[in-house]
Amino acid sequence: MRKRLLIMVFALCFLLISTAAFAQVANPDWWKKAAEPYQGVVIHGVTESTPPSKAIAEVAIPAFEELTGIKVELETTSWDEMYNKEIQDMQAGTGIYDFVYIEQDAFASYLEQGWLYGLNSLAENAELTYPDFDLPDFTSFIDSFKDEEGTLYGIPFEAFLKTYIYRTDLFNDPEIQAAFKEKYGYDLAVPTTWEQYTDIAKFFTEYGKEKGIELYGHVAQAKTHPCLAYELCETIWPTWGVYNWGVNLENMRTSVENGGTLNSDAAKEALRWYVDMLQYAPPGVRTYTWDEAAAVFGTGIIAQGFLYMENLGFLANDPNRSVVIGKIGVDLPPTKPGVLEAAEAGEGYIGYYDGGAWGIPKAAKNKEAAWLFMQWCTRKEWQPEFAKLATTVVRQSAFEDPAITELNEKMGNYYTVMQEKGHLFAGCPPLPMQTPLNELYLQWISKAVAGEVSAEECLDKLAKEADKLMEDLGY
Amino acid sequence: MRANKAQVWGLISPTLILMILIGVVPVIYVIYLSVFRYSVFSRTGMVYIGFDNYRNLMFDSSFWSSLGLGLSFVFFCCIIELPLGLLIANLLTYEFKGKGVFRTIMALPLAMAPVSIGSMWVLLTNPDVGPLPYFLGKIGVNYNIGVNANQAFATTVFMDVWHWTPFVILTFMAGLASLPKDPYEASLVDGANRWQTFRYITLPLLRPVILTTLFIRIMDTFRIFDEVWMLTSGGPGTATRFVSIHLVREALRSMNYGYSSAMSLFLLYLTIVICWLLLTFISASQEES
Repeated sequence: MRKRLLIMVFALCFLLISTAAFAQVANPDWWKKAAEPYQGVVIHGVTESTPPSKAIAEVAIPAFEELTGIKVELETTSWDEMYNKEIQDMQAGTGIYDFVYIEQDAFASYLEQGWLYGLNSLAENAELTYPDFDLPDFTSFIDSFKDEEGTLYGIPFEAFLKTYIYRTDLFNDPEIQAAFKEKYGYDLAVPTTWEQYTDIAKFFTEYGKEKGIELYGHVAQAKTHPCLAYELCETIWPTWGVYNWGVNLENMRTSVENGGTLNSDAAKEALRWYVDMLQYAPPGVRTYTWDEAAAVFGTGIIAQGFLYMENLGFLANDPNRSVVIGKIGVDLPPTKPGVLEAAEAGEGYIGYYDGGAWGIPKAAKNKEAAWLFMQWCTRKEWQPEFAKLATTVVRQSAFEDPAITELNEKMGNYYTVMQEKGHLFAGCPPLPMQTPLNELYLQWISKAVAGEVSAEECLDKLAKEADKLMEDLGY
Repeated sequence: MRANKAQVWGLISPTLILMILIGVVPVIYVIYLSVFRYSVFSRTGMVYIGFDNYRNLMFDSSFWSSLGLGLSFVFFCCIIELPLGLLIANLLTYEFKGKGVFRTIMALPLAMAPVSIGSMWVLLTNPDVGPLPYFLGKIGVNYNIGVNANQAFATTVFMDVWHWTPFVILTFMAGLASLPKDPYEASLVDGANRWQTFRYITLPLLRPVILTTLFIRIMDTFRIFDEVWMLTSGGPGTATRFVSIHLVREALRSMNYGYSSAMSLFLLYLTIVICWLLLTFISASQEES
C-alpha cells in the first residue's frame, strides 16, 4: 500500500514537472514524434549576441533539448565575429553550422552567393512541419527572406524598428514645457521636423548645464565602427529623402553623375547636421556603438535619440540596467518635408526595419533537425514570452495577445508604432555587396566625424570610390 | 649510420609536416591569391590580374598612411619602453624593502590577455565615466580619445608601454644578472663612478640583450591589433588605424582577399627586411663582445 502510494506521488510529481516545463507547448507529442529520428543529434548554430538570441539560448534551447532529445550548440558572439564565422563556413561549404543567423542586411549577399538552402521543401513536409506553424501569420518582415520567385530562405525570429525614443517624464514636465515654450515659442512635443529635433536637443543639453544635472538632448552611435555608417544609411539619410544608401539600384552606382544620391546636396546636408549634432550628445558619443548608445539612454541622461528597439526589453523592464522604466515614449522619427508622405505612398521609407532570421546553409549536415529547432523558436504560443524577454514580435497573432498589450504600455506604445506604422520602415535595400560597401562608407564617414574632411569632400570621394568598388565587384 | 639518419628523419618529420601545413602552405596560398582580384562579394569570382594588386598597393594612400602610423607607433613604443625598462631593471639590482612585491605587481600585465587589456583601457579612458578623463579634467586637461586624434594615438602608445615594459624589464634583469663580475671589479679599482660604470661597462656588455629585446618589441608593436581594436577600432577617423588594423579591415570586413593578400605579403617582406637588419646588428654586436 505504502509502495503504491509512493509510486502515485512520484507519478504526480513527474506529471506536474513535465507540465510546468512544457507549459507553453501546445502539442508536445508532435514535437517528440517529429524529433524521434534525430534523437541524440547535435546541431550547431551561430548568432549575434542580442537579447532575442540570449532568450533563445537560455530559455528555448533547454526546453527544446529536453522535449526532443536533439542537442543544440549555439554560439552567441559579437556581430562582426558572427559574420566572419558563418560566411567562412558557408563559403568553404564545410557544414560546421546547421543553422545560422541571417541578418536582413546580409540576406541579398547570401542569396547572390547561393549559400542558403531553400526552406519550401521542409515547410511542405507534414512530418517535419508543426501543424500550427502557420507561415502566413508571420508579419510582412518574412518577405525580406524570400527570393524573387517566392522561395523562403529564413524564418524570422527577431524584428524591430530603429526609431525615435524620448523621455516622457521630461517632455511632460510642466516646468520644462514652460521653459521650452519661452525659449522657442512653440510647445515641447515629439518632433516632426529635424529643426524641432535640433531645438529640443539644444534645449535639453543647455537645460542640463543650467541646472547642474547631467542631461543631453541627443545620442548617436558615432564610434569608428560599422554602426556609424549604418546610422547614416538606415536612420538619417532616409528621413532626408536619400534612400537605399544613396545607391541607384538600377545601375548600382552611387554618385550623382551616375544617377545615385550619395553625394547629393541632401546627403551632404544630412551629414553636416549629423556631425554638428554630436555637440549635444554626451562627451563620449564618439566612442559609442549601438550598445553604448542604448546603455547610456538607460542611465537617464538622454532626453531623446534613435535606438534599435531590441534594447527596449531592458530599458523598459530591467531595473538593474535602466532608470527610465515607465518613462519611455516611442514614435516616428522627424522627417524633411514630403518624406513621410512619400513613405505613406510607398515611394520611400522613414527608417529601418531591422532583424534577422534563422537560415540553413546549403552544406548543413542536419537540416531536418535544424528546421525543427527553427520552428520551435518561432512557434505561436511562445511569442508573448519571447516578446517579454526580447521585445521582438514576428507574428501578427502576437500583437493581439494580452501580454503584448500590457508590455506595449511599458514600452511607450512601441508595438502600436510597429503594428500600425511598421510599413513606413524598410529593411536594407538588396545590396549583395553591402558588407564591403559599409566598410568603405565607414572609412569616409568616420573621417568626417573626426573632422579630418568636410561633409562635401567626404561624400564626393566616397561616391567616387563606391562606384569604383561596384565596378570592381562586377556590378 | 643509415639507420640513425632514418631515425632522425622519423623523429623530426611530424614537426616538419606540421610546420609545412601551418606555415608554408598558407603562405603559398596567400601568394596565389595575391595575383587575383577576389572578393567574396564579387560577381565575377576570381579574376587573374597579375601584379595589379601590388601596383595598386603602391598608389594606395590609405595603406601608406596606415603604414606610416604603424611605424610611428613602433618608434614611440620602443623609444619609451627600452630606456624605461633599462632604468627600472637597473634600479631593481639594488636591494630595497618590498622589492619582491614590486616585481610581482610589475609583471602582472604580462599575464593578461591583450583583449582584456583593451577592454580595461576602454573603461579607464571612457569620456563619460572613466577615471582618466575625470582626473585629467581636474587639472584642466580636456581628455577625450573619441575626439582628439593625438590623445587617442598617445593613449595607444601609453597602453602598450604599460602592458609590455615589464617584459623589457624582465629581459634586461636576466641580462644584467648574467654579466661577468670582473669588469666591474676592475672599474672599482680604477675609481669609475656609477654613471661611468653604466656607460662604459654595463651598456656595451648588455648590447646583445638590448638588440634582441628591441627586435622582439619591434615585431610585436608592428603587428599590434587586439588592444587597439578594442580601444579605438582605428579611430577617431584614421588616427589609430595602424597597418595591422587596416589589413584586418580590408581582409575580414571588406573580404577583399586578393588585395589583402598582396598587402600581407608586402608587410611580410617589410618585416623580413627589418628582421634581417636587426639580426645583422645583433650578430655583429655578439662578435664584438
